[in-house]
Amino acid sequence: MPRVPEVYYAGEIPPHGGGTLVYNVIDNIDKARQYWEIKTRIEIKPTLDPKGVPVRNVYREVMSIAYGFFTPLEGFMTQNEVESVLKERRLLSGWLFPYPIVFDVTEEEWKASGAKVGDEVLLTLKGKPLAVIKVEEFYKLPEDKKAFADAVFGTPERNKEVVRVPFDEKMPGWLIYRCLKSHAIAGRVWVVNPPKFREPYVRFWIPPAQSRAYIKAKGWRFVVAHQTRNVPHVGHEMLMRRALFVAGIGERPADAVLVNAIIGAKRRGDYVDEAILEGHEALSRGGGYYFHADRHIVTMTLWDMRYGNPLESILHGIIRQNMGCTHHMFGRDHAAVGDYYDPYATQYLWTRGLPSYGINEPPHLTDKGLKIRPVHMGELAFCPKCGEWTYLGIPLDVPEVKQLPLCGHKPERISGSFLRGLIIEGIKPPSVIMRPEVHDVIVKWWKVYGYPYVTDKYLKLKEEQLEVELP
Amino acid sequence: MTAEVRKYKIGLIIDDKRYEAIKGTPLEQKIERMFGGYIRLLTLEVDEETARHVLKEFPSGRIDARGFLEDLPVAFKRALFEAVVKTKSLGKEAIDEVFKKIDEIKAAAEKEKEYVPPPA
Repeated sequence: MPRVPEVYYAGEIPPHGGGTLVYNVIDNIDKARQYWEIKTRIEIKPTLDPKGVPVRNVYREVMSIAYGFFTPLEGFMTQNEVESVLKERRLLSGWLFPYPIVFDVTEEEWKASGAKVGDEVLLTLKGKPLAVIKVEEFYKLPEDKKAFADAVFGTPERNKEVVRVPFDEKMPGWLIYRCLKSHAIAGRVWVVNPPKFREPYVRFWIPPAQSRAYIKAKGWRFVVAHQTRNVPHVGHEMLMRRALFVAGIGERPADAVLVNAIIGAKRRGDYVDEAILEGHEALSRGGGYYFHADRHIVTMTLWDMRYGNPLESILHGIIRQNMGCTHHMFGRDHAAVGDYYDPYATQYLWTRGLPSYGINEPPHLTDKGLKIRPVHMGELAFCPKCGEWTYLGIPLDVPEVKQLPLCGHKPERISGSFLRGLIIEGIKPPSVIMRPEVHDVIVKWWKVYGYPYVTDKYLKLKEEQLEVELP
Repeated sequence: MTAEVRKYKIGLIIDDKRYEAIKGTPLEQKIERMFGGYIRLLTLEVDEETARHVLKEFPSGRIDARGFLEDLPVAFKRALFEAVVKTKSLGKEAIDEVFKKIDEIKAAAEKEKEYVPPPA
């Protein structure tokens, strides 16, 4: 029988996995330096798409593991663990986890390093020490990477509940798994040279332990997490405001929204990372005060988005639970791209589970699942007559009723792509759609990169610079 | 029973400059106002075949939740507006006019892939 979720306060909610928060970072520089001398080394290289454009850098996974975002994961997965995740989205310990997290290398790279199972191998980034991996296993990834990528994300035949269209190269997450190298190294990782974050990232790097401390210091009891890979329009802002009211448990609404932006390689056409972070920041600081700064915080996680809609929502739940949030917003087309998944696939998962992926109950109601609670958000649209954003209505289970607006007028839907089209044509969106301070941020970074959205050029530049500098 | 014909839409934002170009013409009557009148829009309805053709020429494009073809290059939107003005139509004539110059538009779109001048 599904369990009834317990009530936890923000900052005190247990980390995922039932143990303590992972913190595999050696801050003591003298101690850390000893590892820098390790002769067995592997240079971290980006995952490239068939055109040679970087679509992932595994350093982001190293950082997210070591700083505890992916707790209880302490390292890269063994072959058995990958199989377990693909079979039932669980680690070998039984705790829910959506994706295989693999450190892929070529056989040549492995041989050149001279590493053996049992060794501590220094992982260098741009030639400088970053982390150490204690090699537990070296194994061959499946030969057929297309089949492997399909096993990760699903197929319309196998996963009828939510997959609508077969995945292909236009789906960035699928492409990442499709482009992995031939082999993988499994093992626990430690950061042995804590990097310095560049501007503007440094302001938003608040790893789980710090995030929990911040929440407690603020006295927030219920905190709702907002996943973002977008510059916010007013519709997003209204969703966050409404989520605050829904997210409380009994005694009062939630106290604050924790925005957590996913920072890494994204699909072409998404906003650049710097604008995403500063755009959200502009809602409560630096000009816009649409949220009080004591009710809103913007943070980031390093991760090359997989755009896996329901699967990504599990990872999001894990990350934000680890950061101390009690609730998580899930809206239409959560972390999705294209029309591969049903737009409400995430809601399906969090209300019924996804048996075809081996998840038989909702993630927060299953044994060894999550403690964070979902807050399901329907779609909002702007009603010119009401002069406000209103609920558009989740499609009802009545075929002829697709949507039922809250008001009796004709609310206008806004799509992110419509807004992007408006902006790229040089038109400043009206303030009922986008706050002027947010548009100013977009233009600021447009001037830096010559384009407001992710392009191949931006991805290459991002790979050159990354978000960090190593001392 | 006849199969339902799927229709898609392409929206053209009408800023002040474009508005001047169609002011006083029948096209002006077809302007829709959105978001409380802040945005003016002309909408072309296209069939599935045309939609596929456009998306094939411009793979960055996608169909959004409203059934609109979006994420299309500025060069395409600009050429489409010019075609609408030239043909005085929001129908197939305008689309056909655009496809006559598709290579030229694709070349312009290629250039804007990495750089579009930011607003002043």
